[in-house]
Amino acid sequence: MARTRTTKTVAQRIDLNYFKKPTPFKRAKLLLAILAPALAIVWLGLYFFVRDNRVYSSGRLSKAHAVLEKECAACHVQQAGGFTAKAADSACLACHDGPQHHASNTRTKLACAECHAEHRGRVNLAATRNQSCAQCHGDLSVANRESKYFKQIRSFEDGHPEFATLRFAAGTAPRDSGTIKLNHALHMRAIRRGPTGPMVQLECMNCHTSGATNPDLTYSDPKYRGASVSYKDSDVVLQIDRKTLTQPQPITGRELMAPPKFANACAACHLLTFDTRFDEGVPHDQPQVIHAYLVKKFSEYIAAHPGELNEVQDPRRNLTGRAPGPASRALSARQWIAERVAVSEELLWHKTCSQCHSISATTLHDVRIARWDAAKPREPSRIASGTANTAPNAWANSLPDVAPAKLTLQWLPHSRFDHHAHRGFSCTGCHQSALKSTETSDILIPGIATCQKCHAPGAGYAESRCFECHTYHDWEKRNEVKPSFTLPALQMSGR
Amino acid sequence: MLLNHSQRGWALASLAIFLTSLVLYVLYAWSDPRGGSAIGLLFGVMGFGFMIFAAALGARKRVPTWRIGRAKSWMRGHLWLGLLALPLILFHGGFHFGGTLTQILMWLLIVTVASGVYGALLQNSIPKKMTADIPLETIYDEISHVRGLLREEADRAIESLCGNLGTVKDSAEEVQRAGGFTALRPIAASAVPLRTSAAVSAGASAAVAPAPEILLLGETESAPLRRFYLEEMRPFLEQPKSRGRRLADEARATSVFAGLRTLLPAAVHNTLGDLEEICDEARQLLRQERLHRWLHGWLLLHIPLSLALILLGAVHAVMALRY
Repeated sequence: MARTRTTKTVAQRIDLNYFKKPTPFKRAKLLLAILAPALAIVWLGLYFFVRDNRVYSSGRLSKAHAVLEKECAACHVQQAGGFTAKAADSACLACHDGPQHHASNTRTKLACAECHAEHRGRVNLAATRNQSCAQCHGDLSVANRESKYFKQIRSFEDGHPEFATLRFAAGTAPRDSGTIKLNHALHMRAIRRGPTGPMVQLECMNCHTSGATNPDLTYSDPKYRGASVSYKDSDVVLQIDRKTLTQPQPITGRELMAPPKFANACAACHLLTFDTRFDEGVPHDQPQVIHAYLVKKFSEYIAAHPGELNEVQDPRRNLTGRAPGPASRALSARQWIAERVAVSEELLWHKTCSQCHSISATTLHDVRIARWDAAKPREPSRIASGTANTAPNAWANSLPDVAPAKLTLQWLPHSRFDHHAHRGFSCTGCHQSALKSTETSDILIPGIATCQKCHAPGAGYAESRCFECHTYHDWEKRNEVKPSFTLPALQMSGR
Repeated sequence: MLLNHSQRGWALASLAIFLTSLVLYVLYAWSDPRGGSAIGLLFGVMGFGFMIFAAALGARKRVPTWRIGRAKSWMRGHLWLGLLALPLILFHGGFHFGGTLTQILMWLLIVTVASGVYGALLQNSIPKKMTADIPLETIYDEISHVRGLLREEADRAIESLCGNLGTVKDSAEEVQRAGGFTALRPIAASAVPLRTSAAVSAGASAAVAPAPEILLLGETESAPLRRFYLEEMRPFLEQPKSRGRRLADEARATSVFAGLRTLLPAAVHNTLGDLEEICDEARQLLRQERLHRWLHGWLLLHIPLSLALILLGAVHAVMALRY
């Protein structure tokens, strides 16, 4: 008899209370449903009993604060009688001051955490987002209507103007206010070093190095390097009116290019010789110092060579075509010195020094007699009459004025630029105009477009956020803080 | 729950919430997206709310008599709002996983949602396959019981041909059976045939299939059958999951039974057919068990993790408000 199956017989196999019976699957489900939350409670309980609240941290602290990772209470101070223990500005300011940005111009005071978001991992806390700056600079017309700055700067790519140094002012092209005459294009080409010297090819770094870098001495002169000068380095640089925020970072001295020094970069080619009787040149110094040096040198010379007081004219030296004057002269030592100094200074002030410097108010003495010029002097000469005073300061009023060099050290006073960070790049890669510049007034720093080739948002580009070049806090106004922590446990003292 | 057009309303509503949240997040991401900001908190509250609603399905199932919406609606809400919780929580944290607790929470959420999605996809495919492949499907929890009944049925069939097998019978168990009566006693192989209409109507044989006709074979004749049953079929019915069982494979089982038919007289071929059917049903139950494990196994991950998620999420909410 074959087996028969009906719905009823099949149904009758089923226990109506089957769902009340535990099955392995149901038991496992129940067990796990109890076990998982229980494990979670045990896990949190362990942290609670060891009083470790790090488990509730919303992320790792920044590099600067990593040492405080176990010390939640250092920043999260519970308010008396309250439940919350949010990090307040006072906790930040307890360790480091954060002077307000343009305090007089800023209408709203930002909380520290609005820009410096903690618990975001080992990030640079100073690397704030552009939006933090753009809150105000995105529309300064709202934040500060009287601002002289560009009113809508949202990022380096969006709204940032050309560097102020390179901007046209009232239709006038920007000019370098420096007075040292330097033809960059000429110096960047191969140059013959002296009438019979070798051809040399200057490199930028032969002249331009940072203050903390050992200078390139290829074209230096040890005599000048060892000599002391009466002027200071600060005398040759342009003093800028620093109405801007100073940087908080320590200065390494490699950020900016130092002003090129004559002794290091120029002396090997630009000789300051003044008379065929001497091999050495005059000091690279102020006119008073040079004048004293000349008087001293000629005094010593004539004392050693008194025979030269009786001069005999060499007819071959007369190139003027005029009738020759007296064939010989007998001079006093004082007169001889005065004439030689005057001739040397004429050479220096009018040629040697003025090749690079702007010389003004030069009142040269009549040196025609000293040059055996038979023509009548325009006016009685103290040199000719032998009344010249050879004392160093006697001619102070007739010495020229050398215009201050006014070398600009920092072309971007509102931001920071670090040459050292860019040391892997060739100078002319950015300062391309240096290869073509012939005028001292040319400004050779690259424009914003050059920077934006590398500094842009996104992977594959260098940092372009505002903090890279600008600072927010006015660190000149910072207050020193009282230390709060004690090693080794970094326990807060007094809390 | 089938993912068909009936889900359209919930799907569209969820999509609308997601897109609105996405637009809000994109606008808000311009500033510094943080969980503690107003918009970050809004995302967090919404996401956690959806998680709690999704978790409430468990409570709703435990008390089906609650008049708080249809079970289908709860299930759809569980599915879609639970899914929506993930992007909202990601928006809440600004796609940062944060510290220890929040990282654990985020991974719990991801695994919970992923296992839920996986389960939903399985529930859309496996039941169809089960219906097609397992016509003799029974209630999963009763499979072992039904398997026992099959074994008893097979025992009786064999004993009707070969005499007492000497096996131990299960003790009687008072259970309430479907069909409206209580089976008070098991049906022994030696019992009289219970295939009369009176007996059936009394339900005495309802728990098992009708007993086969008594047809005892000689000892020699029944030896192959007895040996096959005791060495192969009964162990298969008792422990079908053991490896290497020929009867677990349909083709090999057919071959085995065909061989038996050649050895046994034609008069017992009907009984052999019944035994083959019993083996087939046992195979189907085995397959049903496997599919059922796939169909519900993910719940062993989904439910415990979701409970831990809710618990730790609540702790996170309180501690985040503190710090």
